[in-house]
Amino acid sequence: MADLVLDRLTIRYGKVTAVNDISLTVGSGEFLTFLGPSGCGKSTTLFSIAGLNHATSGTIRIGDTVLFDGAKGIAVAPERRDIGLVFQSYALWPHKTVAENLAFPLKLRKLGRAERDERIKEALSLVEMMPYAERYPFELSGGQQQRVALARALVYRPRLLLLDEPLSNLDAKLRERARVWLRELQERLNVTTIYVTHDQSEALAVSDRIAVMSMGHLRQLGTPKEIYENPADAFVADFIGSSNFLSARMVGEANGRATVALGDGTQLSVPKGTASQDGSLVIAVRPERIELVNGPGENAVKVDVTSGTYLGSVYQYEVAGGGSRFRIQTTHPVEQGAAFVRIPPEAAAIFAAGPDVK
Amino acid sequence: MTDIATDQAPATGWDRSRLIFWGVSLLTTVLVIGPIAPIIAQAFLDKPLYADDANYTLANFSRLFGDAAILQTFLNTLYFGVLTMVVAQLFGSVMAVVIGRTNLPGRKWIGEILIWPLFVSNLVIAFGWLTMYGPSGYISIAMRNWFGFIPWNLYSLTGMGIVAGLSQAPLAYLMCLGAVTKADAQLEDAARSTGAGPFRALFSVTVPMMRPAMIYSAVLNFVVGIEMLAIPLLFGAPGSINTVTTFLYNVGINAAVRPDYGIVGAAALFLLIMVAALVWLQGFLMKGSGRFVTVRGKASRPATLDLGGWRWVAFAVVGTYVLFSIIVVFTGIFMRAGVSFLTPLIPFWKLLTTANFETVFASETYIRSIINSVVIAFFGGIIGTFFVAVIALVARRSEFRFARPLEYVALFPRSLPGIIAGLGFFYAVIWVPGLDLIRGTVIVLMLAFIVRYIPVGFGAIAPALSQIGDELDRGARISGADWWTTVTQIILPILKPALFSSFALLFIHFFKEYVTAVFLYQPGSEILGSTMLQLSAQGDNGPVAALAAIQIVITALFVIIARRVLGAKIYG
Repeated sequence: MADLVLDRLTIRYGKVTAVNDISLTVGSGEFLTFLGPSGCGKSTTLFSIAGLNHATSGTIRIGDTVLFDGAKGIAVAPERRDIGLVFQSYALWPHKTVAENLAFPLKLRKLGRAERDERIKEALSLVEMMPYAERYPFELSGGQQQRVALARALVYRPRLLLLDEPLSNLDAKLRERARVWLRELQERLNVTTIYVTHDQSEALAVSDRIAVMSMGHLRQLGTPKEIYENPADAFVADFIGSSNFLSARMVGEANGRATVALGDGTQLSVPKGTASQDGSLVIAVRPERIELVNGPGENAVKVDVTSGTYLGSVYQYEVAGGGSRFRIQTTHPVEQGAAFVRIPPEAAAIFAAGPDVK
Repeated sequence: MTDIATDQAPATGWDRSRLIFWGVSLLTTVLVIGPIAPIIAQAFLDKPLYADDANYTLANFSRLFGDAAILQTFLNTLYFGVLTMVVAQLFGSVMAVVIGRTNLPGRKWIGEILIWPLFVSNLVIAFGWLTMYGPSGYISIAMRNWFGFIPWNLYSLTGMGIVAGLSQAPLAYLMCLGAVTKADAQLEDAARSTGAGPFRALFSVTVPMMRPAMIYSAVLNFVVGIEMLAIPLLFGAPGSINTVTTFLYNVGINAAVRPDYGIVGAAALFLLIMVAALVWLQGFLMKGSGRFVTVRGKASRPATLDLGGWRWVAFAVVGTYVLFSIIVVFTGIFMRAGVSFLTPLIPFWKLLTTANFETVFASETYIRSIINSVVIAFFGGIIGTFFVAVIALVARRSEFRFARPLEYVALFPRSLPGIIAGLGFFYAVIWVPGLDLIRGTVIVLMLAFIVRYIPVGFGAIAPALSQIGDELDRGARISGADWWTTVTQIILPILKPALFSSFALLFIHFFKEYVTAVFLYQPGSEILGSTMLQLSAQGDNGPVAALAAIQIVITALFVIIARRVLGAKIYG
């Protein structure tokens, strides 16, 4: 199996640029997720790989096979791309039984009856839906339909599997189980997979690599750990997990560290990063990485604990300090009033601007 | 994993889907322009279209507008159309509110009976009215006997307009009914909660929502009025009252001497432009009707209003209307068919006879009319449904570049009056070399009918099509199916109920059609409508009634079968 390559892919609708100059390579057998808020261009990109909407420029190829080339005017019809696609709504054909849904792509490929039956059996066993072969889609639950949709996309052994938010119509509990199952299945089949979701926890749980997108741009491409620990910009830091953004000013850099000053003058040592022209910057730090400390010290900030929320596994408090308001999480309750918190240097990142500035 | 679809050739410019897109578009365009082009040409020619020495001229128009009799004809048409519209809208909308929203006794049955007239041609209805309310009609004679005079005169422009309006009221009724019954119940509930009584809520919230339906059906009924042939022809002839259609009919074919093609072309073009302008106006007025769209996510039916004791008053009024404008008219046809002479002066059982039916069944021509009508309706319905389905699929579900223009062209026949479509096809068959082969055959009739009713089939199929999510097509495409395989294997099977409805509607329209046929049929390709028109012109009312009765019975059987067996939706 070969790599999928997107090269300078751009998709425009009139004056709106839905996908802006995206280049990436998906390795054979890799599970790559397009992650981003709605309208970021992730599904548009997915459907352009499938050939179901037309890219404007750039190229899409699998190994040496060119699927789309804007410059040469090549656009292979979707039915000739040999790609499996699972839709958000599953798109099971309501007038065909489960087995007939699976048989359709095989008939189009002119497989003999015996081999067809063999393939259907194999695919349905894979998704544990064999007993439901003669049912119609409307007789199945959402989770079962989702499995059949996956079986239909896999039954003709496509060289690429595309999944468009396949779990979003399931309830929360089922979704968590389904994603584990889905990842196991993908590893077993070793099929190159592109997954689209807006759910960051889902993306972190299943992906080999994640491509974070926003407003048609590829913001960061990396493993779940890289994305979470070392976000490339404030948008990624904000969208993956949840981050506090404290405004600060650049003071100086030394020994691979930067020293920054918060609004009240408190100086913090943080990893290097870029500040804006006038020296202003934001410090991104996740609430669960901020520690409560007994008194002043290195990277400690004096804060005023204002209000708290009990979240089940942790307590979350709103605090004011260093000229910003931010959140901290603790495992035990904290009294309202003055306190000290420490921002560990390795938990912080600095960016020129907060996530709201695009 | 092995790849099993590698031997498929890369996409070429001319796969079969593309061939179908272009083929269907060209065929549709040719069929729609086919009847219009010769009419435009004829309007500007001084001799018949087929004459070799015909020259371009504007004389036809100066003759048309310079003739006082013809101007009178246009005024008549206008008055007749307006009266038809006003009467139809008045009765239709009132019936819609009363039947759709009140606890009128027997409203279900009354609602059923109200749509009967839509199933038969206005030729049959005109004949029914004539039989009962004409100068020597059954009820007219009874009136004269009891009161010494007949309070109405069908043979006047006003009489014709009222009859036409009453026969078109079901159309207004159906459209307004949809608007009042599908209105969101929460809107009225909201009015109630702000302090409005139930009637106040109905009249301030729901009735104004009928406006788009009223505008739409009003223009439609006006168009139906000005292109109607049967009523002006049957009722206008004795008093020499002409409308544009009867003028076209008389000058076009009935003229004893050589038909005057030039003036027919000019008048036809004038009518065509008038109707096209009205249809455009309809679209223009319907713009922004989104603020009246009330159908939202979950549908809840609005409550019915309790009329209290008044419901019996309402029942009396509605019942009288239904009895005298529908039941009596249909009964008249059957009564006339079963007697030798229809008069209230002699008890009708003394005049009972099967002679009318014997005449019909003894005549080869009459039998052939019945068979031709059934054949055209049945096969035309199937072919038409398939054709329209493909048009709808290309227009709405393909990546074809000219999908939208195709839809515009396909819906243009809404502006094509039946008499123009017939005349146009008649010219085209004479004009275009090679088409002489199908001249005067049932094939040309079928073709003309299909073209004229593309919009009817489209209206049945397109809404159902938009209910089918496009991820079903996309799923098939990505599974390896090309466009044609996708629509035939996935979309059409799901669309089956709508296809049956389209077939049923086309069958009914083809079976009752007569106007489009008057210029096109020849001995051998007569249909029920054309034969009845010819016979009633000769005053041969017995066989006309028998044929009309046969037509009603076949239609009724078809409607029952289509609803029960095919599950087709025909008018609600």
